[in-house]
Amino acid sequence: MSLSDSERERYSRHLLLPEIGVAGQEKLKRAKVLVVGAGGLGSPASLYLAAAGVGTLGIVDHDRVDLSNLQRQLLFATSDVGAGKALTAQTRLRALNPDVSVIAHELELRGDNALELLDAYDLVVDGSDRLATRYLVNDACVVLKKPLVSAAIHRFEGQAMSYVPGRGPCYRCLFPESAEGLVPNCAEAGVLGVLPGMLGALQATEAIKLVLGLGQALVGRLLTYDALAMQWREFRFARREDCAVCGREPTITRQSLLAAGKSGPGAPGLKRLKPRQLQERLEQRNKAVAAVAIVDVREPREFSAGHLPGAVNIPLADLSERLGEIPPHASVVFVCRSGNRSQAACTLAARAGRAELADLEGGMLAWAAMIDPAMTVAPFR
Amino acid sequence: MITVRVPSPLRSYTAGAAQVNASGRTIGELLGDLDRHHPGMRFRMVDEQERIRPHIRIFINQREVQTLSEGLQATDEVHLICALSGG
Repeated sequence: MSLSDSERERYSRHLLLPEIGVAGQEKLKRAKVLVVGAGGLGSPASLYLAAAGVGTLGIVDHDRVDLSNLQRQLLFATSDVGAGKALTAQTRLRALNPDVSVIAHELELRGDNALELLDAYDLVVDGSDRLATRYLVNDACVVLKKPLVSAAIHRFEGQAMSYVPGRGPCYRCLFPESAEGLVPNCAEAGVLGVLPGMLGALQATEAIKLVLGLGQALVGRLLTYDALAMQWREFRFARREDCAVCGREPTITRQSLLAAGKSGPGAPGLKRLKPRQLQERLEQRNKAVAAVAIVDVREPREFSAGHLPGAVNIPLADLSERLGEIPPHASVVFVCRSGNRSQAACTLAARAGRAELADLEGGMLAWAAMIDPAMTVAPFR
Repeated sequence: MITVRVPSPLRSYTAGAAQVNASGRTIGELLGDLDRHHPGMRFRMVDEQERIRPHIRIFINQREVQTLSEGLQATDEVHLICALSGG
């Protein structure tokens, strides 16, 4: 796979580096990299990877561009609001570098599609904004023996690490279990727009190094960044013998991923209600047609700022101890700020044996946007 | 006093402070002292079985803490690390 004259010109600054040169650039051209999430991290990561001449670049995202994304997601322009992210990213990246084959995967990554999708690539860059997806990507990479460059952000803080099969620990060795809902995402907690730029560019750097076999990979090292203190720190961590996916006796396997995958990375078999559907349920409850318990799993401070009529407040951290407070024969709808904590609540209640569970998709933010603009939705800090 | 670095998801307990001081001869004692000054903070890091929660890692300087009984020196810096989900 040799370089054309225009490619030699485009990548001339790479070719000047003895560590890359023509052979390295041809390696990049042969490489297939998948970026999970075309968001704050995926934007800079995919832009730099396309600019660097990674031959095949896949972009997974099933979301649409929102005006609130544009403060940090540099793949998109104001005119893209409402358009699908994966296809819009494809157009933008192709315009940046027509020599790169950009593949848009407009889908939600799930156990039953993750393995097949990731298997078509050499390396994965994870820029997802949900812990469930983050764990699914890690687990699939371990099962498939694919290198992974992972990063995450929150307010003014970021963290990054790489997994290379056979060379060190995986993300699950660092944080063994997901704490979905206990850890707020950008929609809930806010984020400095430029922060994912730092971390996403770092991910692209790692990905390029791993493709070329250059330098020291971020394996077994968690790099943290504090934008306010303007400090980077490094923490070493080891592989866990009891890691559920890369340990001696893994419980997460190809088969378990496929079996768990049908209903996505969230809780299996649980209903998600759109604001309009929840409104219908509330009307049914008011007419005493159905017993519906609305359980708001946000913090008391958020609950007091504004909540649905008749909702009871059980913060997610207390839910396992207070499940008994929910009437046993009612169907339950969990709500939170943006729909993350409510999903975690559904999973927790389902594991405890509760049936008839649902949550409000998009949370109170969606409720305020679609049903009740006067509703105050407090930030989750 | 030992310097404790607080990750942003736990700063609602420290009135936004990224760094606080606490005392203790072990990590367990230190977390107890933190909880006295910042009520509720310990439960976000340690579960009912006295295990460090799986989305929290604690480092003494750069060394990972495995149990709450690990000892501390006055000059140590403790870093609380929380899994982040944003992308």
